[in-house]
Amino acid sequence: MKILVAVKQVAALDEDFAIRDDGRDIDPDFLIRDLNEWDDFSLEEAVKIKEASAQPVEVVALSVGSDEVDESLRKCLAKGADRALRVWDTAIEDSDSIAIARVLAAVAKREAPDMLFAGVQSSDQSFASTGIATAAFLGWPHAAVVSNLEYAPGAKLALLRRELEGGLLHEVEIQCPAVLTIQLGINTPRYASLRSIKQAAAKPIEVLSLADVGLSAADVGVAGSLSRVRRMYVPDKGRAQLIEGDAAHQAARLAEIIREFKGAAA
Amino acid sequence: MSRTDAVTRILFEAFGAAEVRTFYLIGYAAIAVFCYGFYVQVRKYRRGAALALEGGIWSRFGTMLSTVLSHRTLRRRDRAAGAAHRLIFYGFLLLFAGTATITLEYDILEPLFGIRFWHGEFYLVFSLVLDLAGVALILGLLYMMYRRGWLKPPKLDYARPDRVAGDADFNRPQYRREDWAFLWLLLIIACTGYVLEAARLVWLQARPDVWDTRWWSPLGALLAEGMRASGLDARSAGWVRHSLWWFHGLIALLLIALIPFTKVKHIFTSAASLMVRDPLAAQRLARIPESQPQPGVAKITDFNWKQLLNLDACTKCGRCHEACPARAVGAPLSPRDVILSLRDFAQATLESGRIPDAAELDVHGKAPGQVAMETLWSCRTCMACVEICPVAVEHVPIIVQMRRKLVEDGAMDPLLTKTLQTIHKTGNSFGESKRKRGAWSKPLPFAVKDARKQPVDVLWFVGDYASFDPRNQKVSQIFASLLHEAQVDFGILYDGESNAGNDVRRVGEEGLYEVLAAANVNAMTQASFKSVVTTDPHSFNTIRNEYPDFGGKFEIEHYTTLAQRLFAEGRLQVTKPLKYRVTFHDPCHLGRFNKGYDAPRELLKLLGCELIEMGRCKANSFCCGAGGGRIWVPDPVGSEKPAQNRIKEAAAIPGLEVYVVSCPKDLTMFEDALKTTGNEGKFVVKELIELIREAVPARLTQEANA
Repeated sequence: MKILVAVKQVAALDEDFAIRDDGRDIDPDFLIRDLNEWDDFSLEEAVKIKEASAQPVEVVALSVGSDEVDESLRKCLAKGADRALRVWDTAIEDSDSIAIARVLAAVAKREAPDMLFAGVQSSDQSFASTGIATAAFLGWPHAAVVSNLEYAPGAKLALLRRELEGGLLHEVEIQCPAVLTIQLGINTPRYASLRSIKQAAAKPIEVLSLADVGLSAADVGVAGSLSRVRRMYVPDKGRAQLIEGDAAHQAARLAEIIREFKGAAA
Repeated sequence: MSRTDAVTRILFEAFGAAEVRTFYLIGYAAIAVFCYGFYVQVRKYRRGAALALEGGIWSRFGTMLSTVLSHRTLRRRDRAAGAAHRLIFYGFLLLFAGTATITLEYDILEPLFGIRFWHGEFYLVFSLVLDLAGVALILGLLYMMYRRGWLKPPKLDYARPDRVAGDADFNRPQYRREDWAFLWLLLIIACTGYVLEAARLVWLQARPDVWDTRWWSPLGALLAEGMRASGLDARSAGWVRHSLWWFHGLIALLLIALIPFTKVKHIFTSAASLMVRDPLAAQRLARIPESQPQPGVAKITDFNWKQLLNLDACTKCGRCHEACPARAVGAPLSPRDVILSLRDFAQATLESGRIPDAAELDVHGKAPGQVAMETLWSCRTCMACVEICPVAVEHVPIIVQMRRKLVEDGAMDPLLTKTLQTIHKTGNSFGESKRKRGAWSKPLPFAVKDARKQPVDVLWFVGDYASFDPRNQKVSQIFASLLHEAQVDFGILYDGESNAGNDVRRVGEEGLYEVLAAANVNAMTQASFKSVVTTDPHSFNTIRNEYPDFGGKFEIEHYTTLAQRLFAEGRLQVTKPLKYRVTFHDPCHLGRFNKGYDAPRELLKLLGCELIEMGRCKANSFCCGAGGGRIWVPDPVGSEKPAQNRIKEAAAIPGLEVYVVSCPKDLTMFEDALKTTGNEGKFVVKELIELIREAVPARLTQEANA
C-alpha cells in the first residue's frame, strides 16, 4: 500500500524585502523558506494512517523544485515519510499551479499510490488549485478541504468530512484512489527533532527529470501554464489620517467624516 | 603481666562451645545475606548504561571522604539535623570500628599471628571512647525522632505534588515506617549495649580487672551502680547479661543483613554517589553519543549506572523538595519524588535475576514508579535541587535526559514545539529576521563594531532577549554606551550570532542545540577578539561550560565582572552615588551555576546602594521561572508563578526601592510579576546596568569638549 503526499516548500517574507528586478516576484534574498503549513498536516495524516495500519504502508513525499527543496523533504522524511521524490528541470520555472499539477500527476501515474494527499493551499501563492488540478489530470475523484478522514489502506472507499462555509460540514464517501486536499487542524503534526532530521539525511531523496516522468519542456513552465503573473507590487497605503486639534474639534471632524461615509453608502 | 594488662573486653565468657559456634553461624549467615544484597545492588547499577568518569579515583575518594567526615553538605540549611546526623554518624562509626577491631583481633590477628592489642590501657581508653560514642549515637537518634515525631518539617512530608490522594504512591506510608524502624533499631541496639555492659559489670563485680576499671565506661558503670542499688545480684545479672548479649548481637547482625535492602544502604550509596559527583552536572550537560540509537532516556536501563546509583543515594532529606521553585508554586514536580519514583521503579524491575521485557522498563507515564511528562516539563533546570543535595544526586541531567525522549516523541506543549521550530528557522526565539539581530544598536550615537569584519578586544555575545526584547534592548543600548565611554574596544556578531542554545539544550532538543552551538562556535572562531562578555547569564553558562565540548574554548565573563574591573581601573567612575535601598536577585545561571555571587553585590556597594538580602539568596536564590525553556511556555492560569512568589518575598523588605536583576529574562519575568502581584508603584525592577548608568552619568559633554 502506498500514500503519495505532495508537498511544497513555501517562502515567507523577511522583515524588509524588495521586489525582483523584473517586478514579478520577491527578490529571493529576502525569503525565508519552510515546508508549507498545510503539508505538515497532510503528511501527518499519511504517517498516522501508516502507523495505525496492520499491513505495510509506504508514505512517499513528493515535491517539485530545485535542490533547496531537499531541506523540506528531509523534514518529511524525519516525520515519517519512507522516501522522497523531487522533480526538477529549469524548464519548470515560472510554472503555474496547473503545470505543477501536470508534473505531480505524471509522478502519481508512475508511483500508482492508493491515495494522494495535498494541502488545501500553499501559504505563499494561495492558488488552492494544485491538488484539485492533479486529480483532473489523473481522472481521479477528489475532495477538497478535508477536515476528518477515515481510511484504511487498501480499502475501496474512504469516509471523510469536508469543511464548508458557515460552519457546515460535508460527510463524503469517496472511491479510492482519490486526491484529497487536507485542511489545517485535521490532526496535530508531530515535531521533527533536529536529530531525526539529521538522521533522515540517510534516507533517499530521488531526483527525477522531466523525461523520467514522461514530460517535456513544453508541458511545464510558461508553455504548459494557463496563467501568468504580470506584476507583483505593494498597493498604495490606505487613507488613514490623524485628526489634530482639541477634543471638541476632533469630535466634530469625526462626526463629519462619519456623515460623509453614510452619505456615500446611501 | 601487669594488672592493667589483664584488663580486656569480655567476649564469650561463660558461653558453651556450641553456643559460640551457633553465634558464628548466624554471623556468617548475616554477612552472606549482606553480600548477596550488595551483589544485587551492584548488579542493578551495572544494568544501566555505561559511563566513563573523568578524574582520578583517589582524588574523588579524597573529596568524598572530606565531605563525609566534615558533614559539609549535610549541615546546610538544616543545622540541627546536620548536627544530629553527625552525632549518629560518628557514634555509629566509632562503635562499628570498635566492634570491627575486636573481630580483627579475636578472629584474625590472635589466632593467626598471636597478636593481641585489645587489652590494658588501649582497651580502657577505647572503652571510654565507645561509651561516649554510644551517648552521641543515642542523642542523635533521639533528636531525629523528636524531629520526625514532633517538629514534622514539611520537607519530610512524603505527599507528592505529582500525585493525588488516593493514588497508590501518593504519600508512601511505607517510607515513614522504614524511617521509624531504622531509628528504633539503632536506638535499641545502642540502649541494649549499655544495659548489657552494666549487667556484665554487676555479674563480674567480684573480678577486680573488670570492676575496678568500670569507670572507664562511665555510662555503663552508672547503670551498673543503679542495678546494684536496686538489688540485682551477680547471678541474676549474669542471666540478664547472657540473654541481652544474644538479643543485642542478633539485632546488630539483623541490621547488617538488612543494609542492602533498606534505607540503611545509604551508608554506602550516598558515599559512593559523593565520590562520583560531577561538579558541573547541571552546567554542562552530556552529549548524545553518535552510537546511541535513541536520544535520551526511555527505559530505566537507559540511565547510566551512576544515575541509578544516584537514585539509591537519596535519603529523602527533602532539601531539594524544599528548594524547588516549581514545587513551591504548586507545580506537579518535586525533584525528590522524581528520584524516589525512579528508585522504586529500578528496585521493582532491576533487582530480580532476569531483566523484564523492554515494555515493562518504560519510565514515562503515570503508573507507580513512572514519571509523567507534566512533571518533567515543570522543571526550570534552575539547579536548586542539585546544588543543595547533600549526597550529590544530580536531578537536572536525569530530568533533561528524560525530556530528550519527550522531545523526540514531540510530547510537549505546542507553544514549545512552535518556539523550537522558530529557533531552527530564524536562529532566535522571537521569530525575528536574522538581519534584525543587531538593530537595537542603530539608535546609538556611535557605531557598534562588527566583530566579523574587524578585530576587537572584547566580543559581546548579546543573546536573544538582549537583542530582540524591546525592554531589554534599552539595557543593551546603555551597556553599549558604558563600554563605549569606558573606551572598551568591543564589537558584536550582528546576524552571525544565533541563540546561544542554553535553554534549547535544557528543553532536551539536543539536535537543535548542536546546530546552534556549532553555528556560534563557527562565527566566534572566525572573529578576532581577546575575550567574550555577555549580559545574559544563560549564554554565559553554555558558552563557558558547554561550548568547549563543541570545539569552542573562549574566555568569557558576565558583564558584572567586566564592569567591576572598569570601575577598579577608573575607566568608569561613580559621580552620582545612589542611595537606594535595594535587593538583588541572583540569576540561576550566574549564581548557582557559575558562582558569580560577589561581583553584582560589590557593584551595588560601589554605586552606593544599601543592599538588603532576601531570605533566599546566593546559592538558595529562587528561580524566576524562566529557565529550562519555561519562558516559552506560559504557566497554568490561576496558579502562582515563581516570579510572583519571589516578588512577594522582596515586597516584604521594608522601604525597598529597587529590585535589582542582572539577567535579561529576569527583567522580563519580574517586571511582569511586579504588575501582577500589585506591587507596581511600591518599588521598581531594574537591571544593574541601569543603576550603573544612573550613578555614572553619560560623559557626552566631556567628550565634546575633548
